[in-house]
Amino acid sequence: MDDSETFTQLPIRMDPASKAITTSSSSRALQEELAALNNLHKSLLQLESPVPPPPIPVNQKRSANITKLRESGNAEFRKGKHAEAIKLYALGLQMALGRPHWEPSGLVRDEVAGLYANRAQAHMAMSNWVEGLVDAEASVEAKKVGNAKAWWRKGRCLMEMGRLEEAKEWVGRGLEMEGDEADLVGLLKDIEEKEKKA
Amino acid sequence: MFAVDWWGLILPFCYIGVLLGSLITFSSMYRKRKAAKSANLAPWFPPHLQRNIYLSLLHMEPEEGKEKSVAVPDSVLRAALLRRAQEDIFRIIQIRSAKQACSTLLQRGSIGDDLWQRFLRAEKEMEEELRDVVMEANALSPNWGQHIFQSANEIAARSMFTTRLDEIQAQLEPEKEWWEKRRASIQSEFMKELDTPASSTGDEDAVMVESNKSKKKAKK
Repeated sequence: MDDSETFTQLPIRMDPASKAITTSSSSRALQEELAALNNLHKSLLQLESPVPPPPIPVNQKRSANITKLRESGNAEFRKGKHAEAIKLYALGLQMALGRPHWEPSGLVRDEVAGLYANRAQAHMAMSNWVEGLVDAEASVEAKKVGNAKAWWRKGRCLMEMGRLEEAKEWVGRGLEMEGDEADLVGLLKDIEEKEKKA
Repeated sequence: MFAVDWWGLILPFCYIGVLLGSLITFSSMYRKRKAAKSANLAPWFPPHLQRNIYLSLLHMEPEEGKEKSVAVPDSVLRAALLRRAQEDIFRIIQIRSAKQACSTLLQRGSIGDDLWQRFLRAEKEMEEELRDVVMEANALSPNWGQHIFQSANEIAARSMFTTRLDEIQAQLEPEKEWWEKRRASIQSEFMKELDTPASSTGDEDAVMVESNKSKKKAKK
């Protein structure tokens, strides 16, 4: 790290019209960093206050919208209209992931975990095992503990696709995280039975 | 009685003078060398790109052929400071996670003292950098210094999460292809079973297999 009194002057300049920062050097790291900087600048310009607000008091409007979308998706699912439900969940996910980056990431993770898990269930009801698999894995990535539903759904998708080894390993990991959840134990037994038959 | 023989005392005084002189010279040279070595320690982290960008923007010189420099607006500086805070958070996390491991290794003697010195220096520089960022934040916007690091923390956590999600979503296409291939191979196996048994019971099996195949197609 440089001495705190000195710094390296980089060959960057600002475009007066668009206020974007560009560079004449060909260093890829510098260009990526400047792209990130320009994106951040643009998103900051949309705020009313000059700086991002502290993360803790969250604006409730977006959370309310996301919850509404999830509820309507659940309603469609119960009525049996799976394609509709998937569309609503996808819209909710777009909203949740479109949250500005400085809002609490824990909140984003919770919302995203719920939406992905429900979308996975809707895909599974339509026998789209691949989409269900990817969505269940995304849900687990967002929330590893306390998300037994998502662990179970991906295990079930793997089992339906015939990938029994992977399914067993996945459910094993899920059991480690969740600690002897009844559904997961049942799923593991199903997988083992299927393996014996094959 | 006080007639001191000064000439006789010259030798001892010279001796003491030379002794003290050499001790003082040696200790000052040794300290200077040690300070120089510690200043020459290899840095722990690579050069801080975001810090360089921020300070370059702050001190931008007017371009050739223009009278006055284009003033960089405050919003750009704030964005640059936020990126700098993000990178600092990333480094602080690295330092904190390495600290325990480094101290354990040092106690066991697996690493040398110079590595530990580099680590301590990096830690000290990091603290100075954090203080510097808070001061700059307060200069750019009143009281921003208090929550700039909270915001930067959230942004850093969020960007890591987003990269992981993108990785997972990227698996969708390859998985789809694999599944299509698998279904195609299962269906071709059914076709083979259809063709081979030409016996009378083959009709019944054929009807059953046909209905199975059509059921599979409808499920798509």
